[in-house]
Amino acid sequence: MGNELATILQLFVRSLETGSVYALAALGIVIVFRTSFIMHFAQGSMGMFSTFAVTYLLTSYSLPLWASTLAGIGVAIAFGFLVDFFIVRRIKNASHVAKEIITLGLIMIFLGFAPMVFGVDPLQLPRFITSGDLTFGSVAISYNSLLNICTGIVITIVLFYVLQKTKMGLAVRTTASNESTARLMGVPTRTVTMVAWALAGVLGLLSGVMIAPTTTVTTTLMNAVQVNALFACVLGGFQTFYGPVLGAYIMGVANNFLRYYVSSVWGEQILYLLILIFLIIRPNGLIGKKLVKKV
Amino acid sequence: MNGLNNKSPSLLKEGGALALSVYKNTYLRFIAFGAVLALLPVLQSAGLMKASTLSYLGNVLIYAVVALGLNLLLGYSGLISLGTAGFMGFGSYLAAIFTENLQLSFWVALLVAVAVPTLFGVAIGFVSLRIEGIYLAIATLCVSEILLKTFEQVEEITGGMQGKKANYPVIFGSKLDRSGTYLLLVIALILTMMLTYNLVNGQMGRAMHAMRGSEVAAQAMGVNLLKYRLISFALATAYAGFAGALYVFFIKYTYPTVWNINLSLYVLAAVVIGGMRSIYGTVVGAFLVWAVPDLVLKNLPVIGKINGLPYIFNGVLIILVIMFFPEGLAGIPTRIKLFIKRIKEKNAAKGGAQSA
Amino acid sequence: MPDISSAALNQGEALSIDHLSISFGGLKAVDDLSFTVNEKEIFGLIGPNGAGKTTVFNCVTQFYKPNSGSVWFRDQKGEVINLVGRPVHEIIKHGLVRTFQNVEVIKELSLLENVMIGAHTNFKASVFEQAFKLPRARREEKEFRKKAEDVLKFLEIDDRKDMLAGGQPYGVLKKVELARTLISNPSLIILDEPAAGLNDSETGGLADIIRNIRDEYNCTILLVEHDMRLVMGVCDRICAISFGKFLACDSPEGIHQNKLVQEAYLGEEEDEI
Repeated sequence: MGNELATILQLFVRSLETGSVYALAALGIVIVFRTSFIMHFAQGSMGMFSTFAVTYLLTSYSLPLWASTLAGIGVAIAFGFLVDFFIVRRIKNASHVAKEIITLGLIMIFLGFAPMVFGVDPLQLPRFITSGDLTFGSVAISYNSLLNICTGIVITIVLFYVLQKTKMGLAVRTTASNESTARLMGVPTRTVTMVAWALAGVLGLLSGVMIAPTTTVTTTLMNAVQVNALFACVLGGFQTFYGPVLGAYIMGVANNFLRYYVSSVWGEQILYLLILIFLIIRPNGLIGKKLVKKV
Repeated sequence: MNGLNNKSPSLLKEGGALALSVYKNTYLRFIAFGAVLALLPVLQSAGLMKASTLSYLGNVLIYAVVALGLNLLLGYSGLISLGTAGFMGFGSYLAAIFTENLQLSFWVALLVAVAVPTLFGVAIGFVSLRIEGIYLAIATLCVSEILLKTFEQVEEITGGMQGKKANYPVIFGSKLDRSGTYLLLVIALILTMMLTYNLVNGQMGRAMHAMRGSEVAAQAMGVNLLKYRLISFALATAYAGFAGALYVFFIKYTYPTVWNINLSLYVLAAVVIGGMRSIYGTVVGAFLVWAVPDLVLKNLPVIGKINGLPYIFNGVLIILVIMFFPEGLAGIPTRIKLFIKRIKEKNAAKGGAQSA
Repeated sequence: MPDISSAALNQGEALSIDHLSISFGGLKAVDDLSFTVNEKEIFGLIGPNGAGKTTVFNCVTQFYKPNSGSVWFRDQKGEVINLVGRPVHEIIKHGLVRTFQNVEVIKELSLLENVMIGAHTNFKASVFEQAFKLPRARREEKEFRKKAEDVLKFLEIDDRKDMLAGGQPYGVLKKVELARTLISNPSLIILDEPAAGLNDSETGGLADIIRNIRDEYNCTILLVEHDMRLVMGVCDRICAISFGKFLACDSPEGIHQNKLVQEAYLGEEEDEI
């Protein structure tokens, strides 16, 4: 019985870690969606690219991990700005489909640039805290897992604080609720979308750096994160900022428990199907509300 | 000699008239296009084309079929699917299993490869399309992950990572060879082009246009959005299953890594770059995506050796097309015509000014 | 049920809006509104800006689902039905079709094809028949192409029938929208601001077109319009509303002299009434 409990606790901790990765990626997607009205399919690939940059700096220039991560954040912000400046602000009046196609084109660009700049060999990114466990009886949590969980939660909290209490946050929220009114009221919507894309880039990088040590750094690094983060948004609903975060942690828990108790191979796939079924019952997600379209 | 010389102008005239009538009839034009495609292998036997080029051309034909399906969905109905590769792979495995393991005929295998993915697609579409168009993209993204996992994991049937072998098809008792199968691909593509042409120029095509152009007008005119979205997604899936079967019969081999999300993006690139809502444009787009990187880009000096070049090439083209040339390559002839017309008008205006 | 519904419309009545209410986020856009439109009548719905006119139309055509009330309509079989709760795309099948405030035409299609969209529900051939161009699909395509040409001729824009809608002048597009409603042989047409965006001479011609449509196509017309000259000139009867509430329903002269209506418009531009 004690063993069972330990397993559950262990799984729960792992779920929080997975959930944190998804939550950061999902936050990036929802912030872009609410400010520039684009379904950001390239969130994962942009994260993949900057994670590649971190790993490359680490292995090829033997920079310390913290320094290369900081440099990676710089790369992520730069690409966020570039994408916004050269593409996003120029397609503001394009149709939804056109915008989504653009982010799919972005995936291809980052998919091509990564091997071009960093080579085709898979790279290895170490953990921030290489060893050491925190033990409670038979439950062992690595310090690195704790760091990841804390990073996820702290960043989420800080972001919500910024969104709720600061001037920039207010600008983001106004833009999200009504872009044209916001512009008329003097909200610098251009700056808002630019910051949103840079922020999404950084969030993508952080989720990439968190997930990379569990696998190798290749162009497919973020595929699963992208799918799960999109589903976290679907599950939580796109209408609020906290919905996707909630969705992400639910995905993390469901994912780990399904894999352990139901099937280690098919757990993730079963979860996807469950969410599709959930959509039949609640099409707008857990916290979503249906919007009336103006005719 | 003399007699021949006298005759040739009238022959030329007749030939010209024939060419004109072929040009004017849409179906004859499709058939003429097919004839040209079918004659390309002659270049190979004449030594003007490498043998491997035929494989690339075959690939182009196969992917043109699947891209036509995606064009129905993306170009006409304005919906995105990211499951194209998954459904195509599904079709390829089904065709291989039904001909190799179950020893059933080509036709049965083809039917199953089209029908099963379509039914699967309809179920997915039914769940996701009731909400918003964009949910289809997310749902198909995850379906393609599920399918890919299935191809990898159900080793007893799919051969796992090793993949699954197939053979050139046996049609009406005779086993086709490589060029015979190529001919089959040409016929399949031309038939698909004709069907697509009929569909988009009828009631259904107009309904899809209406859905994309104005959801509210479509509804007010009696278009059941869910029904027509489902139909166009089902068609796209059916085309993908069909193309998957063609693939496995031509390449004789299917394995999981081919059917990843990147292939779906390539198909999307072919549609967007070639020209949304253009049948010939889609075929040209497929050529650009599947033949140009391998036949042209790779042989370029300096940049030809760069890793990931095809991705960048397609990704940049997608974005440029969407931002600056929404009609894609298919829009070039109209743009040229407009350009010439404008120059003529300018000249005429100048001439008019001078005479006055 | 049938006895209630037949009582809901008297002989000679085409549409009856019955205690209709809808609110958005606590704001009552339409508040307990009732009025009745007679058959073969040109009926105007007017009101100051934000009075909820278009919302009423959207409730009738089911783009919005009203919170309460009914919309009784005599369908093409002569039966009286309540439109509330029916799917949007089914409304046209009962013989009710509408235009939109901002013209909703498909830029990538020719004018003729745009008009043929209006005949969508009249096609019986399946997708399979269309894909293989089987006889029925061919026959229907030909039949409705001819019909669309006739409608375009009636509206005097048949010389442009094969041009793409994208790039056509606004006045032409408005006519295309009208043509698209006519091809389905409706018994009631709802026009949402037909004169918006038109110049003076086009607006002048519009009154004749609306009357001709009523006479030629033998249908009832319900319109929302800002241009008071047009409304007063073309309508048989007018209903005025303000803040979603009923003010008056009368002949144009009656409305013109109505104190309540005048008050509601006070502060609006004077020349409007």
